[in-house]
Amino acid sequence: MLLKVKGISKHFGANAVLRAASFSVHEGEVLGLIGPNGAGKTTLFECLAGLIPTDAGEVEFQGYALAPAGRKAALFYLPDAVRPWAGQSVGWALGFFEGLYARPKGEALALAGTLKLEGLMKARLGSLSKGELKRTLLALGLLTPYPLLLLDEPFDGLDLRQAREVMALLRSYPAKGRTLFLSIHQLTDAARVCDRLVLLSQGRVVGEGTLAELQAQAGLTAGGLEEVFLALT
Amino acid sequence: MPSPKFRWLLAKELRELLASRAYWLLLLLIGPLVGHGFITAVDLYAEASGIGGGPAALPQGLSPLEGMLVPTFGAYDLAVTLLFPFVAIRLIAAEKESGALKLLLQFPASLGLMLAAKGVVLMLGWLLAWLPGLLAVLLWQAYGGHLSGPEVFNLLLGHLLRMMLSGGVAVAAAAIAEGAASAAIVTLGFTLGTWALDFIATGRGGWLAALAAYTPTAALRFFEQGLLRLTTVVALLALAVAGFALAAVWLHTGRRLRTRLLGSLAVVIAAAATIGLGSLSRASWDVSESRRNSFPRADEAALRQIREPLRITIFLAAEDPRLMDFERSILNQLRRILPRVEVDYAAQSRTGLFEGAEERYGEIWYELGGRRVMSRSTTAPIVLEQLYQLAGVSPPAPADEPAFPGYPLAKHPTYANWIFYGLWPSAVIFVWWLTRHRRR
Repeated sequence: MLLKVKGISKHFGANAVLRAASFSVHEGEVLGLIGPNGAGKTTLFECLAGLIPTDAGEVEFQGYALAPAGRKAALFYLPDAVRPWAGQSVGWALGFFEGLYARPKGEALALAGTLKLEGLMKARLGSLSKGELKRTLLALGLLTPYPLLLLDEPFDGLDLRQAREVMALLRSYPAKGRTLFLSIHQLTDAARVCDRLVLLSQGRVVGEGTLAELQAQAGLTAGGLEEVFLALT
Repeated sequence: MPSPKFRWLLAKELRELLASRAYWLLLLLIGPLVGHGFITAVDLYAEASGIGGGPAALPQGLSPLEGMLVPTFGAYDLAVTLLFPFVAIRLIAAEKESGALKLLLQFPASLGLMLAAKGVVLMLGWLLAWLPGLLAVLLWQAYGGHLSGPEVFNLLLGHLLRMMLSGGVAVAAAAIAEGAASAAIVTLGFTLGTWALDFIATGRGGWLAALAAYTPTAALRFFEQGLLRLTTVVALLALAVAGFALAAVWLHTGRRLRTRLLGSLAVVIAAAATIGLGSLSRASWDVSESRRNSFPRADEAALRQIREPLRITIFLAAEDPRLMDFERSILNQLRRILPRVEVDYAAQSRTGLFEGAEERYGEIWYELGGRRVMSRSTTAPIVLEQLYQLAGVSPPAPADEPAFPGYPLAKHPTYANWIFYGLWPSAVIFVWWLTRHRRR
């Protein structure tokens, strides 16, 4: 067990966004966090990353309690819908992460090649399209060396071909000793890329496991993730 | 040697500073602002020095510190009040608004280190903006003008500390406020508040006057007068560090509001304690060449024999020129020499216009060890003589102390127009264009 989340709750005023969410992240898996818009996926990720305080609950990492202040030593969360350092170039941003995280020289360039960013190295981050920015941010996230990576909507803004390429890339990471936890609202994407899934609905974890396990939880003998999701929420 | 992480953070902040239009605007405007101050000051100085056969002032009254340096560097006071806060705010607010802060908070470096990198880069940016001021100093020397090293360095230190304070306030405001606009309003509100405090405290004693001594304007004034006070340096540094510490407390979005409020309280208490401890020190150095902040050395030695507290009651209104004269030529000096000076500003109005019926208006009472004496004089030798009598101290024998000779300079500010209004703005625009087009 890499990460165990126990009873995380979060309120914004009177609005309960997370209600005692509990689940586990296994080492070397691609775990998907699925749920409709407003289910609390981003809030859950920000709570796990220690970027916002939780009202209740705790997180264990490799069997030990992990305080919010220590989270950045264990995991990295790549948010969706951010456009950092708009005046700087893609090449600079990749070089900056490579240098700051003391990654081997050339890793940023190799990732740029894999994510087809070579032609954008001189482009400003502020001038990138949504898909270009998403691929750049993914490269930044993948440059961090932590065992657990939380990616918020990693396929959002990518076209079909790009999404498939990124999925293939992400699928290769568990073999390199990295565990991925992806927040995805497209169920078809989630079913394609994830080993296991956590279903979140109105701040509650309503299901956790492989597709087969979720089918069993939902009392279905067949059907895809959509049917399971509808049955459980 | 800074750590590699700090060097990467420094490089990032430097690039962000150079990507900031607010900073380039500051650089663009600072040249003409300094130039205007310098050209006007040199012209006035030349007139006072009798250029073109006109009537000249006494040479002793011509000091390059007051005549050229202070008005020239006055442009930096204006810039640090109205332009620089926007540069500092942007370094924080842009990262908050773009979402970069979420990445920043996960970096393998402490928030303190990240803010230190921002502070260092802001300082470097400010030092670069000093180029027009330093050009003015070089021009002055090229015209044959005199400069005193300690005066120049003391004034530069004052402006550096002034910038640090302004940066601290702006960074704290940017961290606490929701957006850049709110932060700008908070920062300008702080400045206006200190101006109001300065105005209200003029000609008043007590805690209000003590507090007003640390407003940015009042603090800078000491440096402009050629006075280096330990308490002022400590207060400005403490406030600047407190601003950055508050920013560190508030940027940490993962902390609860209560934790942040308690952290802020701890920062405020620590800053107040540091300033309070610093204010106990009377250490100060008169670095002015004219010794304008000191009595003659023999008088200072005689005054040091007085150990009892001196209480002065002044019946002069805040805007009465005699009070300003008394403050400048007597009170400031006494405060530096005597162990304890208590001042009671007893006049009721600000201008004195409505105190005609007040019989005591214009009186200045000195009280020492239960003995009292009154004088209406604001002239140092007369006041000192009365103090010696009151304290029972023998007046010193007149010493042959060399008088400040003064440094007239009857020269027009040749080439200054071209440099500050033409060359500097063109150079800034050219370098800005280069950075836009050559960045990787």
